[in-house]
Amino acid sequence: MIWKFLLLVLTAGAFVAANAQVKAFPFAYTQQDLPNGLRLVTIPTDSPNLVSIYIVVQTGSRNEVEPGKSGFAHLFEHMMFRGTEKYPPEKYNQILQRAGAASNAFTSDDLTAFYTTFSKEDLAEILAMEADRFQTLKYTQEYFKTETGAVLGEYNKNSSDPEEKLDEVLHDTAFDRHTYKHTTMGFLKDVQDMPNQYDYSLKFFDRYYRPEYTTIVVAGDVDAKQVRALVDKSWGNWKRGNYHPDIPVEPAQQEPRESNIDWPSPTLPLIEIAFHGPAYSDTDKDWAALDALATLAFGRNSDLHEKLVVREQKVDRLVGDMSQSVDPNLFAIEARVKKAEDVSYIRTQILDTIKRFQDELVAAEKLTAVKSRERYGFTMQLDNSQSVAAAVARYVALRRSPDTIDKLYSIYSQLTPEDIRAAARKYLTENNRTIVTLAGPAGGGGK
Amino acid sequence: MNFSAACVMGVLLAANGLAQMRTVTLPSKSPVVNVRIVFTAGAVVDPADKPGLAHLTAAMLAGGGTKDLTYKQVVDLMFPMAAALGSQTDQEMTVFSGTTHLDNLAAYYKLVRSMLLDPGWREDDFKRIKDDAINSLRVGLRGNNDEELGKEVLYSALYRGTPYGHYSVGTISAIEKMTLDDLKQFYKQHYTQSNLILGLAGGYSTEFLAQMKKDFAALPAKDETPASAMKPETIDRTRALIVEKNTRSVAYSLGFPIDVKRGDPDYPALLLMQSYLGPHRMSGGRLFQRIREIRGINYGDYAYIEYFPRGMNLMEPSPNLARRSQIFQIWIRPVEPPAAAFTLRLAFFELNNLIKNGIPAEDFNRTKEFLTKYVNVLTKTKNAELGYAIDSLYYGIPGYNSYIKNGIATLTVEQVNVAIRKHLRADRIQIVAVSANAEQLKQQLVGSGPTPIEYNSAKPAEILAEDKLVEKLDLGLRPMDVQIVPVASVFE
Repeated sequence: MIWKFLLLVLTAGAFVAANAQVKAFPFAYTQQDLPNGLRLVTIPTDSPNLVSIYIVVQTGSRNEVEPGKSGFAHLFEHMMFRGTEKYPPEKYNQILQRAGAASNAFTSDDLTAFYTTFSKEDLAEILAMEADRFQTLKYTQEYFKTETGAVLGEYNKNSSDPEEKLDEVLHDTAFDRHTYKHTTMGFLKDVQDMPNQYDYSLKFFDRYYRPEYTTIVVAGDVDAKQVRALVDKSWGNWKRGNYHPDIPVEPAQQEPRESNIDWPSPTLPLIEIAFHGPAYSDTDKDWAALDALATLAFGRNSDLHEKLVVREQKVDRLVGDMSQSVDPNLFAIEARVKKAEDVSYIRTQILDTIKRFQDELVAAEKLTAVKSRERYGFTMQLDNSQSVAAAVARYVALRRSPDTIDKLYSIYSQLTPEDIRAAARKYLTENNRTIVTLAGPAGGGGK
Repeated sequence: MNFSAACVMGVLLAANGLAQMRTVTLPSKSPVVNVRIVFTAGAVVDPADKPGLAHLTAAMLAGGGTKDLTYKQVVDLMFPMAAALGSQTDQEMTVFSGTTHLDNLAAYYKLVRSMLLDPGWREDDFKRIKDDAINSLRVGLRGNNDEELGKEVLYSALYRGTPYGHYSVGTISAIEKMTLDDLKQFYKQHYTQSNLILGLAGGYSTEFLAQMKKDFAALPAKDETPASAMKPETIDRTRALIVEKNTRSVAYSLGFPIDVKRGDPDYPALLLMQSYLGPHRMSGGRLFQRIREIRGINYGDYAYIEYFPRGMNLMEPSPNLARRSQIFQIWIRPVEPPAAAFTLRLAFFELNNLIKNGIPAEDFNRTKEFLTKYVNVLTKTKNAELGYAIDSLYYGIPGYNSYIKNGIATLTVEQVNVAIRKHLRADRIQIVAVSANAEQLKQQLVGSGPTPIEYNSAKPAEILAEDKLVEKLDLGLRPMDVQIVPVASVFE
């Protein structure tokens, strides 16, 4: 059942062309809304005995609208493990242990997700325990302060990586008003101030940990009816909230921006060139066109990659990326340069490449190859229940339903070289651009 | 075919006296095919003056062109399939792995076959691959990843003077001197049928497997390299190595070799101990609870009995890192400098307690239940299942899941605690710290002068009382046992 369409015999590279009408998300699933606004998506797969649950809350660093509160959605992800009266942290952990569960959580711009993979016989208990913490979380001021130490520890473990700093400065430079100005981790000064924000943490929970913000994705060796009954029982009494954040709209950028970072220890120079792009869309072509452009112009088989990485060997990493976000976010190209003296040359090469895509039409077969890669790449990752639930969770944060996946791939299949050129002309303009560079003390080389 | 540990460790001989390749297959109806091609030739067979040669050879095969195709052509052909060939080299094994859709299996395999059996050995590819290896040491490890750096320095320090004495990627100066001829020589000598394990999972046909075996039979039959003897450890007292660099916080790894690996009688007991003390990236472990949850000192704290690189990016270990010798290790994630000395003492305190008191009976039962089920999670993907099956062949054990489930089913808490006392210790430990202000840290670690911790919130009396014991715990370090090295000299 699951692999039905996939067993069609196709020749390499012809996937998209032959299958434009075939669903990109091959699983049959059930999507249901409880009266309180909670959404349940159940996806039976053929993973014997295993079940994976992703609980997706549509709040992330995007929702951190007050000044001084950057990083709060992420801190709150941590607080969710601080227990309830019925399940204090110790008991919560013991139950997960008895279930042999792999469990964790993560936060991004647009979502906070809590996931657990375990044997199916523990489904009822784990669903009930999760329902309890989403509804009756309770922690003391002391616990709160202790957990802020763990969050600072997380900042610290990331802080030896210059890529994290580059990302932080890029967003801070490119955005003025929208909350994408700060990273999910938040500014260091805000992280250091977290111990003083206990009251705000309670407010944050009250606002966002509500059924209308939440979708439960259950994938694996499950029966949809049974899952629904369990969810009704433990999540049905959860009260709907009424908070709607006022996320600031980013005004159009009026002139190019630049920033430089002096990195304290030896590293290779980094350059990132970014442009304000569109929000994720499964109806409009712009987002998909820029996503394809990032690969066409800067991906592993692009002409520029061949020139800079393979032939001239001046760069050891070149990547393009269109952020997949609820609100308009950045289209960015990042290069790691082997020698400091080549940074301005690389910058020129990237900008010239953008100009070329604005002036010329990309070869149709190159676009076909990208479409094929996207489809195969997406399909091949769905090989176990945790990956299926994880893939769906990412889209649930954007549109609250797996059906956006098929809509997106349908848009993708319709992209033409003209669409790519039009998107490059519309978004990748000088006034819309931010460039950030990073270099170590010796300027580069790293010795 | 029935494999024993002995036949895997040495050269497997068929009845006619010729070495032969081994295969591990997991056929299914899945349209996704996983390929894992393992050569039991890793850093341990690097020539003494060429540390990193096994790694560079594998990187060249997976990241270079073939006799007929340039690297760019290979990339272009794999691109629409969303496929690639990756390589991983450890001490004993080199694995080439990739995943493809059944639609593309024939085209993908054609490329893989050429890459591994008819490599291009081009100078321009070699230059790029060499740069990548050097930068992975200089920038990726030394520059940007204090935690991985600490772990690898720990291994190098513990295995100094043994066959595992160098990091698999090698040293910068050795890589700079390597030539294409060195790689070709390594390939000729070690990429043999006797070292080969072909792994396949998914909906491939029997004809496909037969063709693959036929193709790889073109490799030389035998590797004539004599097996190296694994020397016993050399550490005679607790010592510390502080890698000094300009960094915000202090990252620790510490441990000692253990005489237990998969297949040995005490492996299930020690795996259970690991699951109690510090299961990777899980909040239920004792170290995580005492250091992070109760005290809020850092992001996490874990324990290991097998090599587990890239732990900061992975939730489960990568397969095909099988080794003849393993270490017990504690990983303490970065700590703010004022709490650094206290945190190390706290880890020692917990280790002491574990050895002295053992695992409490109630925790034992829960951990046992955890492990029985968690093995299913470890092998939740076909790719992981295939990798584990290859490792089981190497270690001469049955399928990993049944091996663990059966191994722990009859274990008693007494047996586990006996194994803990037998294999763990709180002295003769190698400590590695990556830190700024190394001299200051050294002064705090030697002797038993108190190194108290300050909290940002009230803590229970029981914890404060414990802290009083911890803060003056003697690590057994004299000034002469602490060595400070500048980061630029590490793996140079």
